Amino acid sequence: MTPLLAVEDYTLGYRVAGAVRPVLKRLSLAVAPGEVLGLVGESGSGKSSLAAAIMRALPRNAREEGGRIALEGQDLRGLPERALRPIRGRRIGMVFQDPSAALNPTLTIGRQVREVLRLHRGLNPAAAQAEALDILGHVGLRDPAAILRRYPHQVSGGEKQRVLIATAFATRPELLILDEPTTALDVITGARILELFATLLRETGAGALYISHDLALVAHVSDRIAVLRSGRLVEQGAARQIFVAPQHAYTRELADAVPRPERRLTQSTPGPALLELDGIGVTYGRKRLFGPAPAPTVREVSFSVREGEILGVVGESGSGKSTLARALTGLVPHADRLRLRGAVVGRMGRDYRRAVQVVFQHPDASLNPRHTVGSQIARPLRLFGGDVREVPRLLEQVRLPADYARRYPHQLSGGEKQRVAIARAFAARPALVICDEITAPLDVSVQATVIELLLELHRLHGTAYLFITHDLNLVRQIAHRIAVMQAGRLMDLQSDTAIAAGEGAPYTRALIDASPRLDLGDRP
Amino acid sequence: MIETFRRLGRTPQGVLGLLLLLIVGLACLLGPMVAPFDPEMIDFMGRYAAPSTRHWLGGDQLGRDVLSRLLWGARTTVPLALLATLGGTIVGAVIGTASAFWGGRVDEAIMRTVDAVMAIPGLLLALLIVGTVGAGSLNAALAVAIAFVPSMARITRSVALSVRRLDYVGAALARGEGAGWIVLAEMLPNVVAPIVVETTIRVAFAVMLFATLSFLGLGAQPPAADWGLMAAEARRTLHQAPWTMIGPAGAIALTAIGFNLLGDGLRDALNPRDER
Repeated sequence: MTPLLAVEDYTLGYRVAGAVRPVLKRLSLAVAPGEVLGLVGESGSGKSSLAAAIMRALPRNAREEGGRIALEGQDLRGLPERALRPIRGRRIGMVFQDPSAALNPTLTIGRQVREVLRLHRGLNPAAAQAEALDILGHVGLRDPAAILRRYPHQVSGGEKQRVLIATAFATRPELLILDEPTTALDVITGARILELFATLLRETGAGALYISHDLALVAHVSDRIAVLRSGRLVEQGAARQIFVAPQHAYTRELADAVPRPERRLTQSTPGPALLELDGIGVTYGRKRLFGPAPAPTVREVSFSVREGEILGVVGESGSGKSTLARALTGLVPHADRLRLRGAVVGRMGRDYRRAVQVVFQHPDASLNPRHTVGSQIARPLRLFGGDVREVPRLLEQVRLPADYARRYPHQLSGGEKQRVAIARAFAARPALVICDEITAPLDVSVQATVIELLLELHRLHGTAYLFITHDLNLVRQIAHRIAVMQAGRLMDLQSDTAIAAGEGAPYTRALIDASPRLDLGDRP
Repeated sequence: MIETFRRLGRTPQGVLGLLLLLIVGLACLLGPMVAPFDPEMIDFMGRYAAPSTRHWLGGDQLGRDVLSRLLWGARTTVPLALLATLGGTIVGAVIGTASAFWGGRVDEAIMRTVDAVMAIPGLLLALLIVGTVGAGSLNAALAVAIAFVPSMARITRSVALSVRRLDYVGAALARGEGAGWIVLAEMLPNVVAPIVVETTIRVAFAVMLFATLSFLGLGAQPPAADWGLMAAEARRTLHQAPWTMIGPAGAIALTAIGFNLLGDGLRDALNPRDER
């Protein structure tokens, strides 16, 4: 039987500054009709380049050096643009990572959906409208007629992704390419979207290539999984087996790096209250002369962080987690009472600034590109009275060579940059470090080493963490207590043992159920 | 820095601009040494001398050698234009960055003041300042610098606003850094790229503005060999001896074009997305 999609011995490179940088190296894989092939790999492994190569949407500096990409035996390489048009969108459908970027913000959703139906199925306007209503109803959108009239910014991210999925399936494609379709969505929305996929794939019998860096998720949706590492296929096998019994050391390494709540990494016990929050509230924007006052982003949040405690804060995007972090570091004005070790904090003075440090999500943005690593780490030492000669020791503490002090941030990898940001936070010898989604932009194996480093520093200095994340599996591995936020409110605050025992508010349980977990069988 | 120059070398405008500026720079450095005559040597026999092997660019109404005057004049014209532009740029950049950093009412106040100053045309403002503090080369430089401040402040602010939102500024605030450090050390180094480009283009404006001021009799005073002054004096003798005008006008144009091309080249070279 000919496979639906066959990639054979395919080699691809990008021409950068005169030299060709290889991206995919003699890659071979196949998708059978009705099969879902999961493609996993870390950033830079060539996943998205492969998707672009299949869609024939390669950038101008791409150089293909041999091999073939065949859809039902027909090589797509070298096909003229005219011949590709009826293939793209009709025979191969694609769903992108960010639904907001995939829809044109200046056209109504209706126009964009009808356009696809008109172009690929030759429907007249009335028939296209009827069909659009039908397919949107089919993907579980409540009021399709209203959605069609709206502009993309007027509907939620989950709704947008449903519209895109409906459109992708509307042309009855034989193959779907899904490039991280749930990464930009909330956990619960993402889980619903995945269910929708499974149903639609079953109904239409289409094959799919599911690209993601999230191993647990891929294991959940795929029949087979291929593991990619710097452009080479490392291993492929049945989805249930590949991580339970990996053949290749790299696959094992990847699987072991995925956070699993059963495997606790923290053993310490917290001390007395360190930082007490009493009704923190943050409102962005000012009240206008006419019109209502803006709604608060964080409302009346009260809890306390104990000495040496790792307190996880989870919630979906827009739940106010990051705003809370910004309020605690004094970056946004807030109405509240804060007590540090029992003393009321009025204006955030030197003592508070020193005791509470923050590490931001994107190390690219939190390190100044024009200062050397050394001078950035030395800055808190100068401010809070430390010795600048400590910089090599601080670098060593985050397992970076001392000569990195002379480098600039752009000469470092993402994980290394985040280590520098951590070293800078610890230079002030803080009592509490606020970690705002610090592992979100990192690959799973890098994430594991950063977490390991944080826990080691925790053991060494007894530092408390306010660990803000959307990854429940990760936070359940390390946190003593977990605070759950929704729409600016604190919904739940449970100890780790209570959560493991199945206690907690219904919303907490829903979040836990929606987080896909990687089942490794009885492998430790 | 070296990388920027390497990339600059790959843009045709950059190469041409650098070449022109090299000529101007050499004229500033070595001009007086290679000049065939004393710029103020009056030669009654050589009045309105046409370009010849003796006077390459001809002689003016007093028989002074135009080429020698141009070579000497480069020293007063170009460095003053650079000085004025740098002064205006630095002050404007600091004001713009500080305005973006503080935001809110302070920003509003600074920007509305800038708008008010910008409402007066640059030349008029310069005339006003020179008229108040008196004519002279240094005063003209001051006037040009002040005339450049508002627009530089505006350009810098728009770039600095996006830098203001980045986390390293947040991290500095969270550490309790002072406003001076954040504006000068954290934000300013990250907005230099567009400022450098704008500055090079503005040097050309400054050369022309200086020439205009000298032309109007408010900048350099006779018998100085300033290019603008030379053009002003040549106006009266344009019909008898057009070369007295062509020399200084050409020099001003070449310098202006050189800086403009360098600015264009730098804009491409400093754009990281431009794969060259």
